[in-house]
Amino acid sequence: MTRQSNDPNGKLVMSRRGMLLSGATLLAGTLAASLCPTISLAAVDTGAQSRFMQLSSLLINHQLNPDVGARIAETATGEYKNFAGMLDAIIAIAEQKQAKTVEDFFGDIPEGELRDFAHWVIFAWYSGCSSEKRNAKVFTYEEALTFKTTSDILTIPSYGISGPNLWTRPNLPLSAPMPTF
Amino acid sequence: MIMKSVKIFALAAPLAFAALAPASAQETKGQFSKELIEKGRYLATASDCVACHTNHAGGKPMAGGLPMSSPVGTIISTNITPSKEFGIGNYTEAQFADAVRKGIRGDGANLYPAMPYVSYSNMTDEDIHALYAYFTQGVQPVEEKAPETSLPFPMNIRASMMGWNMLFRPNETHKDDPAQSAEWNRGKYLAEGAAHCSTCHTPRGVFMQEQKDLNLTGGQIGPWFAPDITNDKVHGIGSWTQEDLVTYLKTGRLDHRAQAAGSMAEAISYSFQHLTDTDLNAIATYVRSIPNPSASKASAPTRFDQGKAGNDLSGFRGKDYADGIKADHAGSALYTANCASCHGYNAQGTADGYYPSLFHNAATAGDNATNVIAAILYGVDRHTKDGHVFMPPFGDQPNTVNALTNVEVASLSNYILKDYGNAKLAVTPEDVQLIRDGGPSSQLVLFARIGMGVGAAAALIVLCAAVWLFRRKRSQTQTAA
Amino acid sequence: MVTKTSADVVIVGTGVVGVVIAEQMLDAGHSVLMIEAGPRVSRAEVVENWRNSPLGVKGDTSVAYPSRPWAPHPMGGEKPEDAYLQFSGPDAYDQTFIRYAGGSTWHWAGTSWRLTPEDMRINSLYGVGRDWAFDYETLEPYYVRTEHKLGICGPADRTQQWPQTGTRSAPYPMPALPFSPGEVKFTEVVKTLGYNNIPVAQARNSGMPYDGRPACCGNNNCVPVCPVAAKYDAETALHRLEKKGATLLVDSVVYKVETSAQNKIEAVHFYDQHKQSHRISGKLFVLACNGLENPKLLLMSTDDRNPNGIANSSDQVGRNMMDHPARSFTVTTKEPFWSGIGPVVNSGIMETSQGSFRSEHAGAYFRYNNFARNRFVTFAALKKGLVGKALDEEIRRMTACTADIVAAHEILADPNNRLTLSDKKDWLGLPKPSIHYDVGDYVRKCWEVYSQPIGKQIAEAMGATDIKISPKFNNSKHIMGGTIMGKDASNSVVDVDCRAHDHENLFIPGGGAMAAGACGNSTITMVALALKAGDAMVDQMRGA
Repeated sequence: MTRQSNDPNGKLVMSRRGMLLSGATLLAGTLAASLCPTISLAAVDTGAQSRFMQLSSLLINHQLNPDVGARIAETATGEYKNFAGMLDAIIAIAEQKQAKTVEDFFGDIPEGELRDFAHWVIFAWYSGCSSEKRNAKVFTYEEALTFKTTSDILTIPSYGISGPNLWTRPNLPLSAPMPTF
Repeated sequence: MIMKSVKIFALAAPLAFAALAPASAQETKGQFSKELIEKGRYLATASDCVACHTNHAGGKPMAGGLPMSSPVGTIISTNITPSKEFGIGNYTEAQFADAVRKGIRGDGANLYPAMPYVSYSNMTDEDIHALYAYFTQGVQPVEEKAPETSLPFPMNIRASMMGWNMLFRPNETHKDDPAQSAEWNRGKYLAEGAAHCSTCHTPRGVFMQEQKDLNLTGGQIGPWFAPDITNDKVHGIGSWTQEDLVTYLKTGRLDHRAQAAGSMAEAISYSFQHLTDTDLNAIATYVRSIPNPSASKASAPTRFDQGKAGNDLSGFRGKDYADGIKADHAGSALYTANCASCHGYNAQGTADGYYPSLFHNAATAGDNATNVIAAILYGVDRHTKDGHVFMPPFGDQPNTVNALTNVEVASLSNYILKDYGNAKLAVTPEDVQLIRDGGPSSQLVLFARIGMGVGAAAALIVLCAAVWLFRRKRSQTQTAA
Repeated sequence: MVTKTSADVVIVGTGVVGVVIAEQMLDAGHSVLMIEAGPRVSRAEVVENWRNSPLGVKGDTSVAYPSRPWAPHPMGGEKPEDAYLQFSGPDAYDQTFIRYAGGSTWHWAGTSWRLTPEDMRINSLYGVGRDWAFDYETLEPYYVRTEHKLGICGPADRTQQWPQTGTRSAPYPMPALPFSPGEVKFTEVVKTLGYNNIPVAQARNSGMPYDGRPACCGNNNCVPVCPVAAKYDAETALHRLEKKGATLLVDSVVYKVETSAQNKIEAVHFYDQHKQSHRISGKLFVLACNGLENPKLLLMSTDDRNPNGIANSSDQVGRNMMDHPARSFTVTTKEPFWSGIGPVVNSGIMETSQGSFRSEHAGAYFRYNNFARNRFVTFAALKKGLVGKALDEEIRRMTACTADIVAAHEILADPNNRLTLSDKKDWLGLPKPSIHYDVGDYVRKCWEVYSQPIGKQIAEAMGATDIKISPKFNNSKHIMGGTIMGKDASNSVVDVDCRAHDHENLFIPGGGAMAAGACGNSTITMVALALKAGDAMVDQMRGA
């Protein structure tokens, strides 16, 4: 069971980057913090799954559900022979750059196997799938990050958006802020 | 056709007083004033007469014909329009008053207490007069006979109610308590009388009488549980403000706390939302003054603030559905498949709150699991000014979205309770069957028959039957359209 | 296990046509037995099948409905030689339909445009295609009944209703659904071009529950399944029909229609999923499997009296296959439109389907697709190699600033567009359908001189920075023709009540009977024909 928050809409509003990179610094007293999956991961930091979440958090500067991460890591372990080595390599690049965001270090990941793997990890989190294909593995639907980028205006298809006929709303300009996720 | 459910309780009591009072009055009626008729209409709304005395699937107002299921047979509400042949058009005001306040109909026969005359007994003569004016001159006569109620022996002996009435029917009209405010007194008059809150919210004793010392501390009503509405901050609604309660009575909901379903949805639909703000405030003032005799000393979580958002999707997403509902994640998989499309995959509801979250929700965090099961099996149906609130049923109705089995409902309920509501509760498939059958039933009918058979204590105790109105389980057997 | 082997009325197929007739006959007091080739599944399972499917195939309407071996239906991603439908001719008639209890309304959008009076007299007025055997005013009361039976919402304002010509004798039972921001903007844009983008009449509960089903809550998932049954689909009627006494046999593939010496229908035969054969007799028979399975079954059922197949003395069974050939414009705009709030098809331009040009070429209906765009753009955004904020912003921009406009064309009844029995066999050993199909010059000319220019004009008015046009005509999954209606038994299959000319107790209602289909989705007309056939059947039973 992944608890997200007490907020009725299940949105977490805290940044998790700082916590991860500063080594499990607790943000004082917020309930959200206590529920944040990264804390336990940063504390444990053993095993491929934890390393995978660490890598994912470096590549994607958003809240990530560790249960979904475990599903992705499971598939990655099977599909990438050098999975553990690539995790370590990319994490090392980020640490060397003292990266706070993906933009800080992504360009330093060398083209080829490592860069492709980094893109695949991002692909998996955003699409919830292992590939575009019919036989893709599905890790998540509801928590695929593509839907988070539009969660302020669109529903995740198959989930209701509002009370009956209450969804009329003004057109949202591109300048509107990105939802926090 | 809409079928309501009513429980019938038989209990041992004298049967010796079976006598028919003569229907003798031949009083001629003059024309009542429009104001008086309107006052009567309002009181009839406050008393929610229409809820039972109208077949809501196409029947005419007050023409009866609404079948109400009970463990011992179906009670069918009567035509109370002023039709002389089929309704109450021949009633004198005295006969009318006796029917409303004493449960004795014009021909002297006893009504079953499906009619909440125990509550209505507090009504003043003045208000009875207004109701009489309305029912004789404000309601369209409907020249149609409502089907007869025909209950099996011994329930078919209406006179058996006499003994029960002697024991449990109050025979006093309301008197103001000078120590209390006028608003409180008005509230008491309405809440204990016309609005008959205690009919559902007060637990019943061994003879199915309302236990007045436990007033409004909660009672089982067929498949639903009418919760504690005392001012206890933990078990009751002591955490609600006056405004909260008035809002609830007007709309049938309070965001992130509670929604009216079952009987309460009908009470909101047909009665409370139509009352004046003054009267709703009066009712709220009175209800909020009622303590729970075993009031909680310490603060503790209430039924309004338990559970939180979350999901278990990673356990089965991307895998085969049939496997998912069999395995460890069965409850969660059933939740996602059947409930989440409206209530959200984190049970968070919609952002506008129209579809409620299932955490911070009285329905999932009560002291028992009755309302979780009932909401799943029967859905929600409530009409308010803002529209028709409708959650479809997942029982065996013709319009069920998915006829869930007892095992599935139990599994789903346990997931909801554990993760969003009162985690201390657990539901078995047998519990679900009980609610599917209309709620816990009494063995009193059986006892009464056995008691009669052996003739035990025949001199004192033979039989009395009581029907206790439990209002409005909607079973959508033939929700036609 | 067959619990009954006979009924007053035997209905093959449990889609919308079958269930509407079943209820009519049950309400009239007749016993009804329905036979469904495919399985019966819960809505919960279908919804979860879809959620469990990969993002890349979520647009495939079959993905939530895996076919059973004994009841194959088209599934995406099949090799042509393995596919259930076999094709020949210049265009592929690759329809989507499902053999499940409840039929293909499981995944219809709910769009319910009536035909116009002109659509039904296309030959008289424009000298092309075939006229209907009766006029719009004859059909109109059945349209009203359909709108109330299915619960079709639509605007009360007469100027926003379709059709503008002909009678409308009763209002819609529910108001139109509100527009998404994209639909509002699209409506404004096309207005500057002189087009009226009107609310789609649709079988969806608008603002209120209806018929014991809940109100739409904007799940934006009408296709491939409404998760809450706010959209009418025939599955929602099955439980009610059983409560009314209908017997429903599933996983039972009817393969033969048996006639008596008087050439009346005597029985139908089906295989169960263990390939065991069973026989069901009755008084009246209804084939309610729509325009592909009905002609297939009729052609398979040959006997000495009917050497070309049942109901086929005219040689018209399987001919005149129609659809609404469609081309889509995927438009990228400068400013956001935001599709995807509310139902997936909620507005369209119908007036472009009408005009005197129809003597020269087809008309077209322009529809604004209101699917949330995430699933269409996510892979493209990811392929750009973006990360971090840039990736988020690109997904959001592409979701907001892309839109699909679809032009659906009117096709003419052409006997050469023909379904025959393939040499290839399915799992049960029954022949697969083979369809020869050519959308024809009437459609192609429309595309060249009319619909493509209008589509481009609209796209430009929307502020397009890029327009991608589908390279060929796609199918709209509106199966029409195959058992065409007419007054003349020598060139049509069924009469005005969808009764087979050749067999007085055989009814074949639905899209197959439509002589002309114009541009609007066919289901509402199929149901109107079913109700008309049902009335005739009630009369016939009374006389029997």
